[in-house]
Amino acid sequence: MDAIIECENITHYYGTTLIYENLNFEVRQGKILGLLGKNGTGKTTIINILNGYLKPRSGICRIFGEKMENLTPGVKSRIGLLLEGHIQHTYFNVQQIERYYSRFFPNWKKEAYYELLKKLKVSPTQKINTMSCGQRSQVALGLLFAQDPELLIMDDFSMGLDPGYRRLFVEYLKEFAADGTKTIFLTSHIIQDMELLIDDCIIMDYGKILLHQPTSHIIENFRRFRFSADRDSMAPDERFWHTERIGNTWETYSFATLEEVTSILSGQGAHDIREEKLSLEDAFIGLTGKY
Amino acid sequence: MYQSIIYKEWIKTGKLVILASVIFVGVIMYSFISVKQILRLNGSVNIWEAVIMKDLPLLSTLKWLPVLVAILLALAQFVPEMQNKRLKLTLHLPLPETLIMITMLGFGIAVLLFIYAVTYVVLLPGLGIWFAPEIVQLSFYASLPWFISGLLAYTLTTWICLEPVWRQRIINIAVSIACLSLFFVGTRSGGYNSFIPYLFGFTILSMLFPFYSVSRFKEGVQ
Repeated sequence: MDAIIECENITHYYGTTLIYENLNFEVRQGKILGLLGKNGTGKTTIINILNGYLKPRSGICRIFGEKMENLTPGVKSRIGLLLEGHIQHTYFNVQQIERYYSRFFPNWKKEAYYELLKKLKVSPTQKINTMSCGQRSQVALGLLFAQDPELLIMDDFSMGLDPGYRRLFVEYLKEFAADGTKTIFLTSHIIQDMELLIDDCIIMDYGKILLHQPTSHIIENFRRFRFSADRDSMAPDERFWHTERIGNTWETYSFATLEEVTSILSGQGAHDIREEKLSLEDAFIGLTGKY
Repeated sequence: MYQSIIYKEWIKTGKLVILASVIFVGVIMYSFISVKQILRLNGSVNIWEAVIMKDLPLLSTLKWLPVLVAILLALAQFVPEMQNKRLKLTLHLPLPETLIMITMLGFGIAVLLFIYAVTYVVLLPGLGIWFAPEIVQLSFYASLPWFISGLLAYTLTTWICLEPVWRQRIINIAVSIACLSLFFVGTRSGGYNSFIPYLFGFTILSMLFPFYSVSRFKEGVQ
């Protein structure tokens, strides 16, 4: 499989605040990759860098082998871009915006757009700026499906959507990517939705990537362990994430097995060690911390 | 594809363009009525004398209109592009970015040139009914800086709108006001005649300014 997106040694600052240092990752063809991180970890920043709307301090990103600041029209036509908040040209009405975009893309699928909009109960002459956030999201998604791009880049697709529209969005995206030829790179701050969708996951922390793994690997192997211990602190161990005491109980997160964890923690006086399976959202909190 | 960009610009500005055209028609009619009225009340000889000897302006009602319409047109085109950074969507279209910008700017300039040209085509022969060709020519040269300033106001407003940083925008506004004020220095008719080619040259040059703002937008300057 080819790498559709490649980022090498991206370093970026806002003023003197470090956003990333030597960030490296790639997205391979046919994968749905989710970029997860707390607010301010630079999720939108990386989308802007990827699309050539932000020049990083150093490093390079390539999409379909082309440098981000000089994407040719040919490559741009292969990329569908969803901006944070489902931003579109809201002065158009439903029909006008379809007519506007249709001229730019040779494989335009008008029926895909109208198929999706049929569910919205909006008239063809309704202006987009009179629609709800959920309806606007469907217009934006319909336009992307009509474009039928090889790569979809979506910045915080769940922003402002109620659970129904979020679920609808995810289901359509899954269907869109079903044949395995489409590549999707997306960010979202609602991680429940991502669990249903993404193959791979990058978890960002301030300034770096914490983890880049298949989602299934995280769900199957990352666990929370609760235990009791009559101590005020536990010895740091790189196999444990965010060990903390809550009341009389301790909790920690780890990729280690229950046997390994028991063997490590017993030496520190821990007892009643219990293993808990995690959702992706819980795993995210375990990896990044609550604060 | 370029037609599609023009279509988008028309959707944004169509109502304003129609309104501006109606206002220009109104001002042209008012100018004719006003000239006819002063001729009727004061007599042709006195008015001809006042125009020739005392520099009585015939088209002063038009003075600020080209600038005002140009600023409104640029705002109607480019404020929506900068709201929520929609310009990213426009620049993401599968066309060379420079050509996208040229098409958008070209649309605005073409609209203004059309309105300005129609104004002159109606107004100048109309004045020729009552005044000698030399007086009509004098009025043309006296009003030309106002129309050129309209084109400059359009490019400068675009430059300001597309600038991504507010602090720099305020500097751009100050520079723009200074540039535009050059076109409105009080002087006798014909006082600008030798200066007009330079004003026109600067206006052509100013068409590059919006591209500088777009390059800053692309770099993500904050």
